[in-house]
Order: sequence, then C-alpha cells, then structure tokens
Amino acid sequence: MANHDDHAVEALPPTPGERATGFIKRNDVARTIGLFVAYTAIFIILGKYFYPKWMPTIMSKEMKSAETIMIWFTYISAPIAGIVLSVATNSFLNAHRGDTPPPDGPAIRTNGPIVVLWTVGSLLFTIVAIVWGLLEVNSQAVAAANDAKSAITVEVTGSQWLWTFNYPAQGIETHDLNLPVGVPVIFDVKSADVNHSFWPVQLGIKVDANAQVTTVIHTTPTMVGAIEVKCAELCGLYHAYMETNGAVMSKTDFNAWVTAQGGHTA
Amino acid sequence: MSTLDKAPASARPVPNPKRSLITRLHMGTGVVVGVIFALAAYYGLHSLYTTYTDKVADPLSSHDNNIVLLGAMLSWSVGFMVGIGAFIGPWRWLIGKDLTDEEILYLAGDGQGTKRYFKYCTDHKVVGIQYLVGVMTMLGVGGTMAMMIRTNLARPGAHFVTPVVYNSLVGLHGITMIIAMIIVATGPFGNYIMPIMIGAYDMAFPRLNALSWWVLFTAIPVLCSAWFLGGIPTGWTAYAPLSTQAGPGMNSFIATIIIFAVSTAVAGMNITTTVVAMRTKGMKWNRVPIFVIGATISVALAIPAFPTFMLAMVQTGLDRTFNTGFFDANMGGSGWLYANLFWIMGHPEVYVILIPGVAALMEIAPVFVRKPLFSYNAAILGFAGIAGLSVLVWAHHMYLAGWAPSLNGPFMVTTEMISIPTGLLFLVLIGTIWRGKPWLKLPMLSVFAFIWDFLIGGITGIYLSDVPADNYLHGSMFVTAHFHFTLMGAALTGAIGGLAYWYPKMTGRMLNERAGYISFWLVQIGFNVLFFGMFMAGAEGQPRRVIDYAAFYKNSNLVSTIGAYSVGIGMIVLLWAVIHSWNKGKVAPMNPWGAKTLEWTVPYPVPLTNFDELPIITSDPYGYGKGK
Repeated sequence: MANHDDHAVEALPPTPGERATGFIKRNDVARTIGLFVAYTAIFIILGKYFYPKWMPTIMSKEMKSAETIMIWFTYISAPIAGIVLSVATNSFLNAHRGDTPPPDGPAIRTNGPIVVLWTVGSLLFTIVAIVWGLLEVNSQAVAAANDAKSAITVEVTGSQWLWTFNYPAQGIETHDLNLPVGVPVIFDVKSADVNHSFWPVQLGIKVDANAQVTTVIHTTPTMVGAIEVKCAELCGLYHAYMETNGAVMSKTDFNAWVTAQGGHTA
Repeated sequence: MSTLDKAPASARPVPNPKRSLITRLHMGTGVVVGVIFALAAYYGLHSLYTTYTDKVADPLSSHDNNIVLLGAMLSWSVGFMVGIGAFIGPWRWLIGKDLTDEEILYLAGDGQGTKRYFKYCTDHKVVGIQYLVGVMTMLGVGGTMAMMIRTNLARPGAHFVTPVVYNSLVGLHGITMIIAMIIVATGPFGNYIMPIMIGAYDMAFPRLNALSWWVLFTAIPVLCSAWFLGGIPTGWTAYAPLSTQAGPGMNSFIATIIIFAVSTAVAGMNITTTVVAMRTKGMKWNRVPIFVIGATISVALAIPAFPTFMLAMVQTGLDRTFNTGFFDANMGGSGWLYANLFWIMGHPEVYVILIPGVAALMEIAPVFVRKPLFSYNAAILGFAGIAGLSVLVWAHHMYLAGWAPSLNGPFMVTTEMISIPTGLLFLVLIGTIWRGKPWLKLPMLSVFAFIWDFLIGGITGIYLSDVPADNYLHGSMFVTAHFHFTLMGAALTGAIGGLAYWYPKMTGRMLNERAGYISFWLVQIGFNVLFFGMFMAGAEGQPRRVIDYAAFYKNSNLVSTIGAYSVGIGMIVLLWAVIHSWNKGKVAPMNPWGAKTLEWTVPYPVPLTNFDELPIITSDPYGYGKGK
C-alpha cells in the first residue's frame, strides 16, 4: 500500500473511469468498502430488531410512529455510520506499534469535493429527518382536531405520588386508567403540587403535569391490553413508585367497568 | 507583568518575605477567614431574622430560614478569597497604588516549590495543575456517587440507599459531573498548555486566572455541605416548584451555582482575551492550533450561558427566602420560566463540554498518524456551527412540558440542523486518519474510542430530537444513556486522550503505558456495556432517576451495573497510573510524540515565563506528511 502511494501520481491511468477503477482496486479502498457494507448491514439489522424486541406492546398510532422513526432513522443513519466506522477500522488495522512515531503519511490537507459531498449528504439526511418529523407532528395535530368531537375526556391529576383520573362525562374518579379501544381520548393533565410527567407507556405519549395550568394530549388506543402509567419527571421522594396500571378494553367491558364504579355510560 | 517580560531569570529581584502581607497568605488563611465570614453571616443573619420575624426556626433544619444559610455560604466564598489575598491587588488600586514588581513575581510563585500550589498563584501552569487535581477529585467523587446509584439499581427492590439519599445522589452526581466536565479540558489543558501553544508568557489576566480557580475551589465545600443539610431532591435540573419545596440542602446547590458561574465567567473571559490578544508573532488565525480554537469557542459559549443559570438560581433563592414567586404558579409565576432559563444555559452547556474534548483529539490525531489535520476550515466551521446553533435549540428539552407545543416544530428544525456541523467534526477526524498508519499510543486510542462513542451518541440524539419519537423516549433511561454517550463517551474520552497526550509536558514523566491500556479497555468496554444496557431499559420504558423498577427491567439494569463496575475499576487504574507516574514514571523527553505545536519546544519544568524569547510562527502546526 505504501509503495502505491509513493507512485500514485505517476501510476494514474489516463481516463477518469480507469482512475476510478484503480481507486476501487486499491487494497485499503477495497477493505474499507467491505467494512462499509458490513457495518451498514449491522446497523440495519440492529435497527430492525433492537427496538421491536425491546419496546413494549404498541397500543396506539403515536407509539407506532415513535417506533417507526427509531427504526427508520437507524436505517438512514446506517450508511453514515458505515462510512465513519469503516474508515476508522481500516485505519486501526494499519496501526503502527512501537516507541518511535510512524513514517509520515500523505500530506492531504483537504479534499474540496469530499467536503462538499459530505456536507450535502448530511444536509439531505437532516432534511429527511426534519420533514419526516414535521409531517408526523402535523398529522398528530390534525388527528387530535378531527377526533375532538368523538373523544372521551380524562382529567389527569398528578400529586406526590399518585395519579388520579377523573372521567367527567362518566362521573367517576379512579386511580386506574381504563380506556375503551378505538375511541379517541383527550387527557387534560395538571398537577396538585410539583411537576410530574404523565406517561401511559404503551400509548407512546407523554406530557408534563404543571400546577395551575392544564396541558393536553391526545391519542386513540388501537388494541386491547394492559397499560402502565408512570411519572417521567423527577417529583421528589417516591418518584419511582408514582405508577399505576390500567387497561385498554372493549367498549362493552369499559361500560361495564364504568357502571361498576358507579358512573353512567353514554 | 511587564517586569517578568523583561527581566532575565538571573536578574530577578528577590521578594522580601518579612515585609509583605502577600507572603503570609495561603489556602489555610483563606479557610480561616472564610469560616469567620461564614459564622459572622450565619449568626448575624440569624439574629436579624429572629428579631424581625416571630419565628425562631433553626436554619440547619428549617425550610423557612434559607437566607441564613445562603448568606453564610456566599460569605464563606468571599471570606476565603479575602483570606487567600485575592483582593490585595484591587485594594491597592483603590488607594491609588499597585503591587510592586517583587510582589508580582512572588504571586507568580517564583521559587516557591510545591507551596505555590496552595497559594493565590498567578502562574498559569500552577493554575493548570490545580485544575487537573480538582477535576480528578470531582470525577472521583461524582464517579463514586454513580457507582452507588448503579449498585442500588443492580436488582429490583434492592434498598442499598434510602430514597432521600438516592435522590441526592442523582442530583449531586449530576451537578458534580457537569461542573467537572465543563472544566475537564479547558481547566487543566486550557490553562497549562494553551498559553504555551500560542506562544504567550502567561495568560492575559494572571490574577483573574488564580481567581477563577480559587473561586471554584470555594464551591466544593459548599456543594458537599448539601449532604449534611438533608441533600437535594431535585436532580441537577433543580426544576421549580420542586426546588421551592426542597429542604435546606437546596441552599448548597444554589450557592454552588452562583459561585461556579462567577468562576466560569472569569475564566472564559480570560481565555478568550488571551487567545485574541496574546498570540505570538506570525500566529495568524489560520495558524492557531485547533485545540486553542475549540477551547476558545467553548469558553466564549460559556460566557453568556452560565450567567443565565446564575440568574435562575438567584430567583430560586429569592423564591425560597422571600416568597417572590417567580417560578410559583400559585403566586402568578411560572415553572416554565425556570425551565426556559435553565435550558438556555443547559443546551449550550453540553457543547461547552463537548467541543474542547473533540478539539483535543483533533490536536492529537495529526501527530499520531503523521498527516496534516484534514480540512482545518471544516473543523472550525463545525465548532462555530455547533456553537451558533446551540443557543437556538434549548426548548427541545421542553417538547413535552406543555409550554409551547406550537414551537416544537421550529425547535425540531434547529436541533436536527446540528447534525450538519457535527458531521463535519466526524469528517475532519476520519479524513485525518484515512491512509495514515496510526501510532497506537493511548492518546490515539482515545480518538478511535471517541469516533465510536460519539457516533452512537449522535444517532440516538437524532431520534430524541424528533418530537414523535421523543413522545415515547423523553424522561426515560434512553435519554440518560444518550447524553452519557456524548458527554462521557465523547467529551471525557477526549479529555483522557488529552491527559495522556500532555501528561509528559505537565509532569515531566510519561504516563504508565500498561496501566493506561488496561484502564482504557476496562473503561471503554464497560462504558459501552453500561449504556447499551441503559438504552435497553429506556426502550423498554423505564423512567430516569428512579430508585427502583419492576422486575421486567431487571436484565437490562443488571447489564448496566456490570458495565458500571468495569468503568469504575478502569478509572481507579487510571487514577493509580496518574499518581504513580507523576513520581515514578519514565522521565519524558522534551517532545515524546514528535509534535509540532509550541508547547513541545519548551523544556520541563517549563520556565516561569515559558519562553526566553517569543517564537515566531511561519506555518500552522500540521505540516506532516510526504509531498506537501
């Protein structure tokens, strides 16, 4: 490889095509390309299996969109990670050991086209991420507006260290969060004391509970199953234990539960 | 410093130790006067308080007597500075005089051996060593707290510590590490190495340099006092109204931040002025070593950032002492005001931490691959771009606070845009090592570790900056893992690389290589295991800052704790190596790495004024490689 560098200028084939072929055939370049393919593949596999394996059951569109973003952002990051890691690994494999410095390498001060290409590439990557995020934020806001009429409202109050759920239309108050499947739900969240953060984990949404102001989030549970409600904002001594359970249930079960609690169904 | 500039070493005047007050002051007198001030403030304020209110509450345990403790803590800091002699110069100015040449020379620590490390010493090399020892102490303390946290989280239902202690551990680990990481590179290397790197006799304001260190020093006992006042329940973010509700320990936190902000402002202004005004002849802006550029951008970013935090803490203190209600919604204030002020500091602050670490590695990489730094301009653009954008992204910490949902879009745009300058930093590093044969010494290993760690930190940051993904991830262990990958994996790795690189110049000895390698692998492998476990826990839905968790999360937490122990052991090995090599290491040659920056042209011990005659610069320090 070192010999090749020494004579790189003289050995250049005349046409750009041949130069490109020569470049790709260079040992270090070939090895880097191989490493690039391997690293990119590893990151894609990681994206495909890591989050679906570790994230809890997906029980709403918001949760689905969080997972999709994590998977797809890993995919589009994979080639960038591939380039960085393959160059680093290739260099690592060329390591020089011993107590004297290695011989000087080629004096590459910069490479205009590469810098431009890299910047444009990261700009495109950023645009994809931004546009994706904005579209998703927008569609969630639109869904919230559309669903407002058919939604049931749950007033959530966080207090040290307890969640209280008030269903005004049903006239019940509980400490378990039960919801009917397929019906949009609006959470009006506030706090009786310090800041908390209302996090029904499987629904993939979250908002802070503040004193004196009401914050609002929206979702539509898409499947029946158990959910956990946690506090995601440090709120003092028993922050870790400020959690409760709940369930998304069929409409019949939900109505039965409301009745059993002494409330009235629509 | 005009005397120092001109006087040759042999002709320096000898200070008269019997006549000047300056010669009798040191850390000990500082502590004595500081304690006297603190006690005077304590009893004075307490008697005022009991005279003018009906209450007789004990300030050490009561919640409604905060002014006494805050006053005592801040008085301690002022008293210490009086006792160590920080105000002798300003006092002389007040009476129309200045220090004599002998006194200036004495303050620079000329010929005082190790005693000068315990004095108000203006020599930037002494301040650098003081910062190094201070940072290592803080990392040790913060690391011990981290080990206690991980020990408690090793298994579900374990009660290694009580909830009060646990929450205090979380908060004090956070603030200790944040302070340590802010100064970890700019403190030791920015003070010791940087003035030599730019060919200066000393910093622009040597007395302020000593001031910045000793002011910071006074914050350490104040922060430690939190333990004896019931701890802090708020985490290092100290959100209101939890901070208003908190007990007397919160005063320690408030006083620490106020003191620390003074120190950072002074240090930041000093470093910036030094680099702008004191570069040697011929060191144009395009010939300045990249570490100097990075450190300067970092401290310049800190200058506006920390006063905001100080302001927020003063307001918190007022809320707690005088019920001003700035942050109390029940009194017409807003907790969101606090959150905004905090993160206006908080997001620039992470880049204040990150940039010097990266810049140190960019200084290291060309030396060890014997190639020029790839695209010096891209590196500067990267740093400047990050610094510029970092003041526009703060509310991404508040996507889900409910403060302004309609601003989530704009803040998402600015946050994602940080990928572009960050990408340039990667390009500079991989461009530099491309086609080189890296000399695998400890500093170079840190470059490779940085590339991996910061890549993971960067990619996970992209998810978090996207609102729909943050809906799920915010406030979970995933966030904790992400910012440890950037702050510890990237910035601390950079600082450790810098330590291994500049250790020979700072101590005159080589850092023990074998111990260095052992530590490197223990820390890096342990670190990755630790925080991959935490990514898992976060993806599974475990919130941050919890003392306990459901059995469901037990595997990921156990993995994390195992990794944490590996990091802990590795750090102890590194600490041993640093202490052992300082006395017994192989004596270092003047330029062990064959580098071209100016600090390697001066002998060890570095003379008081660094250079007998200032060098003249004709090119940048990256002229490595064949066929230039």
